[in-house]
Parts: sequence; structure tokens; C-alpha cells
Amino acid sequence: MYGRKGYQLVKDFASGEKGQLKPFNSKLFDETIEECDQNHHLIQSLIRKMQQEGLDVQNNRNADHYGALIHHLSLIRNKRCLMAYVYNRAEIVRDLAWRVGLELLDLPSDIQGKLTTLEKDYFKNHSVALKSYMGKVGIELNVDMVPPKDPYIKVRILDDIDEGIVLSDKTTNFARHSMHFLKRTDAEPYIARGQMKELTD
Amino acid sequence: MAKYYDIDDILVEEEFVPVLFHKTANGVTIDPSAETNCAEQGAKVEVPFWLAHELHMRQAVSINLPACFDQKTRLEVQADAAYVDLRSRCSYFYEFGCKLEPLVTDRTLGILLSTAFKIRYKEALTKVYTAAHITASKYLSFLTKEETNLYEAAHLSMTAFRKWRAGGPRLERALILGRKRKDSN
Repeated sequence: MYGRKGYQLVKDFASGEKGQLKPFNSKLFDETIEECDQNHHLIQSLIRKMQQEGLDVQNNRNADHYGALIHHLSLIRNKRCLMAYVYNRAEIVRDLAWRVGLELLDLPSDIQGKLTTLEKDYFKNHSVALKSYMGKVGIELNVDMVPPKDPYIKVRILDDIDEGIVLSDKTTNFARHSMHFLKRTDAEPYIARGQMKELTD
Repeated sequence: MAKYYDIDDILVEEEFVPVLFHKTANGVTIDPSAETNCAEQGAKVEVPFWLAHELHMRQAVSINLPACFDQKTRLEVQADAAYVDLRSRCSYFYEFGCKLEPLVTDRTLGILLSTAFKIRYKEALTKVYTAAHITASKYLSFLTKEETNLYEAAHLSMTAFRKWRAGGPRLERALILGRKRKDSN
């Protein structure tokens, strides 16, 4: 009661590493909503009581009014916590699309598991919007986040990349620990996902 | 309103403050010493800041200074601000203090905050540039949330500068995916 659950929800979000996702805490989320319902019921019962006593609910400032006010403020507070929780997660979801890849299946499976169905939809829709915008302006906006020095870079494969990936100029067998000389734009998404590592002399 | 979605701002406002009720409020269980479900006029209760603030604006309560700004803390800050464990008192010492300042009668709160911050900021900055990151860990546990953010920002810019000077790979695994798993080779 009095915004406790909402606080716990926000605390849960804050306890994670900054800018990284934790599994959606649907238990606390539902409990917060339930607490809002309780507040709502108590407000209504206090207002009914004032009406039965024949008082002007809008202008009267009696003890019932202040009781209802406290419940109202608690409800608003819980709402703010819920909104902030969803909003801040949505921010991370957008970040994932920008930094890791626009396809949901490109994301590592543990990250996918932390998203709810609604967040996955949001991710997909955000990607679609980004892609259509990039198509219109004719620039890939999510590559070259670090200013390039050379169009080609040397990389080492860290993970088994099983599917035969066709890069823009050739097909290669990416066995683990093998080294390749690739176009920077091709390698960039794999490096972001931790499957390749840039090598320097 | 600008900070409506701000996680830190929400956490700051959850800090408890002692208030004195000027009006009775029915149907609430915030006063643990009350026999019925209400907060009587004249009751002294600890409530979260967000509630205290709104009630204060409606003249229903008056706010007293919370324990983290008490005389003992002030004396310690006067003695050597840099090594006072402020985090255990209040993890958002400054933000909380700034929010509280216009609502309480105590006019010395602002001075306390700014003196404490000036001294501690200087110390934290010196620590970042001189002490190794590991040896500073004891000192870090004294810092409030705001100071930790500043400390980390300074630390990051130092590492970024060293990395830039040394050269090396510039493309990296996205930070957002979390810390790198242990290489399985």
C-alpha cells in the first residue's frame, strides 16, 4: 500500500546493470496494478461516505477528503512507477535495434527471453520503421557508429557461426578461431553481437 | 514533469521524511501508532517524500528534517567531509537535500549540501586520477549515488583516453548485451 509495490518495481529495474535488460518482472508489475485497484476502491468508499453525509465532495476538506487524497496520490505514484518501468525498458529495446541488429532473431537468445511479447512487437515495429526510413533516405544509419579508418578489417571468429553466410562479395566458411579479412560494414554487426573480434597489428 | 520517467528521481522521492499532520485523514494506515485506521491531527509520522510534498502543498502537514541531515552528520561533515559515509545515511544525499530545502524551515541545509559537495568532489576527482581502481573500493562505499555516477564518468573518460593513446581495436561487442561471457576455449 502507498506506492510500495511501484517502488519495488522501479528498484528492481535500477538494480540491474545500467542500460542492460533484466527479465520482465510481471509478478511485481501485476501486484502494483492490484495495489492501484485497492487504492481506487478505498477512494470510492470514502467519497461515497461523504456523499451519504450530504457533503459537497469537491469543496469539503474534512478528514475523509484527506484520506481519499492520500489514496489518490498513492495511486498516481504507482502509475508513475509503472510508466517509468515500461518507458525505460522500451528505451533499451530501441537501443538493441540500433546497436545489435534489426532482426529479432539476430539478438542473442538470452536477450530474446527477457522480452515480453509486447516488447518483441515493439522491437519489430521499430525496426520496420527504421528500415523504411533508411530505405527512403538511402543511407544505412546503423553502421559505422565508430568512424572508419579503412574499408577492410581483419577479424577473428569467436563463435561458431553455422549458417553459410553470404557476405556482399563472397561466401566464406567461418570456422571458430579462423581469421578473415572482411569488409568493415559486413563484419560490424557480428562484432557487435560478440561473434567476431577485430584484430589490430 | 521533465523527470517523470526518471528512475533516479523516483527513487529519490521514496526517501522517508518525518511529518506532522495538521489535518486528520481517515481510512489510511500510515500511522503505525494509531489505534484506528486514520492519521490524527498532530500525529508525527514518517512518510515517503512524494506524499509529504503533495500534502505539504495542501497545508495538510509540515515537514521536519530527516535524520540524515541531523546535527551529528553536520559535525562530521565539518570535521572531514571527504570521509563521511554519506551513502549509509541517504544514497541520494544531494538530490534529496535539494528537493527538501524549499519545504523546511531550516535555512542552513543549502550551505551544508554545497560545502559537503565541494570538498567531496575534489577528493573523488583526485582519487580517480591517482589511486588504482581496486584500492579505491573502500572509499567508493562512502559515496552517494550522485557521487558514484561522477566517479564512474571520470573513470570512463580516463580509460577512454588511455585506450585512444594506445590504439587497438575500435569496434567492440555492444555494451548493451552485458558483460562478455568467459571464452570457452
